[in-house]
Amino acid sequence: MAAKRTAPPPANPNPNRRRVTSAADDSASAPPSKRMLAFHFLRALSRIHSSTPVPRRTRTIRRAAYSSMARAASPRSAWSRALLRQVRVRRAVRSRRAVLMRRRVSAAPAPPLGASRSSVSAGQTSVAPPVRTPPPRQEGEPARADALRQLIPGGNGMEYCSLLEETADYVRCLRAQVQLMQGLVDLFSGQ
Amino acid sequence: MSNRRSRASVSEEEINELISRLQTLLPSARRRGGSQASTTKLLKETCSYIKSLHREVDDLSDRLSDLMATMDHNSPGAEIIRSLLR
Repeated sequence: MAAKRTAPPPANPNPNRRRVTSAADDSASAPPSKRMLAFHFLRALSRIHSSTPVPRRTRTIRRAAYSSMARAASPRSAWSRALLRQVRVRRAVRSRRAVLMRRRVSAAPAPPLGASRSSVSAGQTSVAPPVRTPPPRQEGEPARADALRQLIPGGNGMEYCSLLEETADYVRCLRAQVQLMQGLVDLFSGQ
Repeated sequence: MSNRRSRASVSEEEINELISRLQTLLPSARRRGGSQASTTKLLKETCSYIKSLHREVDDLSDRLSDLMATMDHNSPGAEIIRSLLR
């Protein structure tokens, strides 16, 4: 059962002890701590499960995945900070919209909420936050770097050099998150 | 890292080192023959890899939501998770 997974399965009986020590060795290019990732994600999942069992859970789970990934990552990474900023902005906008909707007579079920979810690409916010966007200085780097900038959260304000570092970190964290989720799916579907 | 920026110019070697480090992360790092793959191609591969990872996250969260819907509150999986977070 655990043959497919590289990290120990989340059903490990003693993750709490190791969680503290593994959070301490976040060196410069260290891989993200898998236990921190599991902790944040599982906590979010249990919260989602106990909260409203709305059939719209997929989006919530996806957002929880990115949020927990950003929280588990070292705050030195710019992308994790940018992701958490996006989450805050989105939540503020959503609460404001919910208030506005409640003020009107509740005619339509929830179209404004659907509109605010127009962020097709995962992780990117459709609401325009006050991004400062300094002109990206490129050391003779082609348009590929711009495509990469749009994929990495917060990549618009980065120089080319830091963009590469952030990309590496982001890819590592993303891969760990995918492994974790895959492990969870296996765990749940194996019952 | 800060002393690099204060020089006002990032040297080529550092960029190449970063790019090679990125290359080792990609799933296509097996072929060591053309290790000097062009930067553009490498960036393009990185973009597509990140996009595929995003898609996988979407797909997995979809499956997780389905599984969670069918999961019984008293199933052993839920018990394990709840005991983890206590």
